[in-house]
Amino acid sequence: MDFDWTEEDAAYRARIRDFLARTLPANWDEIARHGPGSPEQTEFSLTFCPKLADEGLLVPHWPADWGGADRPPWEHFILGEEMWRAGEPRGAQYMNVNWIGPVLMRYGSDAQKAQYIPPMAEGRAIWCQGFSEPNAGSDLASLRTRAIRDGADYVINGQKIWTSYAGLASTCFLLAQTGGADGGRAGIAIFLVPMDTPGIEVRAIPSLIGHGDIHEVFFTDVRVPATARLGAEGEGWTIISYALANERVGIPRYEMGAATLDTMVAELQARGQFSDSIVRSRAAQAAAACEAARLQVYRVVDGRSRGQAPGTESNLARVAVVGAERAVADFGMDFLPDAFSGSGHDALLSHHERAIVTGIAAGATEIQLNLVARQHLNLPKGA
Amino acid sequence: MRFDLNVDQQTFATVLGQMLQGAAFAPVEGWGRYDLGTALEAQFDAGGFFDAAAEPDLGPVAAALMVHDVAGVPVCFELAASALIRPFLGRDVPRPLAVRVDGQPGALRYLPQARGIVEIGETVRYADLPDGAAQPVDSLYAYPMGELTDPEALDWQTLDADPAKLRALWQVATAAELTGVLRAGLDAVLAHVRDRRQFGQPLGAFQGVQHRLANAAVEIEGARLMMLRAAQRQAPGDAALALGRAQEITNAITYDLHQFMGAMGLTLEHPLHRWTYRAKLLKAEMGGMGAAYLSYATDRWGAP
Repeated sequence: MDFDWTEEDAAYRARIRDFLARTLPANWDEIARHGPGSPEQTEFSLTFCPKLADEGLLVPHWPADWGGADRPPWEHFILGEEMWRAGEPRGAQYMNVNWIGPVLMRYGSDAQKAQYIPPMAEGRAIWCQGFSEPNAGSDLASLRTRAIRDGADYVINGQKIWTSYAGLASTCFLLAQTGGADGGRAGIAIFLVPMDTPGIEVRAIPSLIGHGDIHEVFFTDVRVPATARLGAEGEGWTIISYALANERVGIPRYEMGAATLDTMVAELQARGQFSDSIVRSRAAQAAAACEAARLQVYRVVDGRSRGQAPGTESNLARVAVVGAERAVADFGMDFLPDAFSGSGHDALLSHHERAIVTGIAAGATEIQLNLVARQHLNLPKGA
Repeated sequence: MRFDLNVDQQTFATVLGQMLQGAAFAPVEGWGRYDLGTALEAQFDAGGFFDAAAEPDLGPVAAALMVHDVAGVPVCFELAASALIRPFLGRDVPRPLAVRVDGQPGALRYLPQARGIVEIGETVRYADLPDGAAQPVDSLYAYPMGELTDPEALDWQTLDADPAKLRALWQVATAAELTGVLRAGLDAVLAHVRDRRQFGQPLGAFQGVQHRLANAAVEIEGARLMMLRAAQRQAPGDAALALGRAQEITNAITYDLHQFMGAMGLTLEHPLHRWTYRAKLLKAEMGGMGAAYLSYATDRWGAP
């Protein structure tokens, strides 16, 4: 066992931090204030990501054929940590880098790859993921948006909800039913749908988690060519499973939490309010939750870097990450209540908005607990 | 960053696992709350297991894993201090070994058996324990507990050892034993809720049970990994945080384990108390979670 970084990994991290220090503007906290999906951060990402690409830091883990450098999983992971630590200047484009690009490489047609992968590798593509529906949240396989074959086309009707980044996205990674009304998993197919296709209506949902983040997306007789389908009819669930396995641990939120905790402590120290034992021990408690999550996530990445098949460790890691973000967010509101009103604390405000969605986004914690119980602890399924 | 054991550590863990299979639970006559594993202890002695931490290819990580794994069997013998303190004292001392930190008053575990005692404070001191130096006391805990007859009468010798490092090692040893007993208690309860049926299905099929046990598994695993990182680094911050975390999660988990084991878990016929009533002592070791977290806060953010 070795819990320390190799010299090469440490140098890579230092290189990213140096790049960020040189590249992020003085008013970056203000730009990042309303989250990765906000108009400000989306616009910023379209100039920032091309610079990252020039530096070889946008898709270094991708194959060289697609603009990457075949770098190992740990480097990809360190890159993600540093980006989220800095408030995610890639905006919504982190999704392209992490899983949309790799999924297209594996399942896309030559035409789809040629059309969609280069803009991602250049840092100028915004995607949204059309997964959840009003009646298909945790139970995603019960989705009802229909794609009906009509000659050389499909006609799509239905509604998506909680769609992140839909307001400014150019393309939607859409899940729809091509089977009967109750097609279930076997009937799900994926479509790559340009968001300017007639019949698509996007409504922003004002929320607690940042401007421009979540949306409703309505599809009314949206006609797309069959060439927009990713993989075969009925292959959608397999592709989604691959995408989730590729992602495995999601956003390195414990790193964002740990960095925010340091910001909170620095603020308390500046006010002379970090001598109280209760405050100090609560800060350490939050740090402990971050480290408990960090090590469980690292173990998943370690397995991946050594070519092991995904196991239940990623479910444990996801639960632990929720605990980390809760501990940090609660610490902030318990001891710095005034930072969440007025101005001057952009980094804390934006962290709070990002943290509160941790147990819900990308799969509810309770579903992860079900998976831990049944698959990791081998507990029986209920009646 | 690697989470796999080296070849020597793997072999060590395999042999250890085989040895531990022989340690079965048996109730102890006369309302006994612990069962001294003297046969297993003799095997450890013969096999040189107490010196694992000093072997370059095994080191404190293997020793900490050993403490963790041995904590999971329903018998006990003094191991934590022998495995993670004794090899780092700079001189040979006998075992079993008792450890006292910062002059903590009251009973200490394994003191009735101990042949020497280490005290970690501003400095590190050691004293042999001749016959009569300690007396056994009755206790709720699943350890043999004892008190020193007259601490000042002992022949204390100051050792040339780094108190900060030994403090960190004792935090690691305690966290290793604590995560080990929690894991063993969890395993016992998992076996029970898979088998025990009520309302026509196993207890373990109820989501109200599943989620609490799943959470316990997540928390124990996180604390175990923090303990292993601290074992590798032996740095004060890592060690304090690992112990604080293990102590923090103990109350909720021991409560849930007893809750799901029901009345059977309150009997001395069932081994659950052998783990939970060690956890209840270990969670208070070195001042408990609060002291550990304050120590970490100073290490990370500076003194108040």
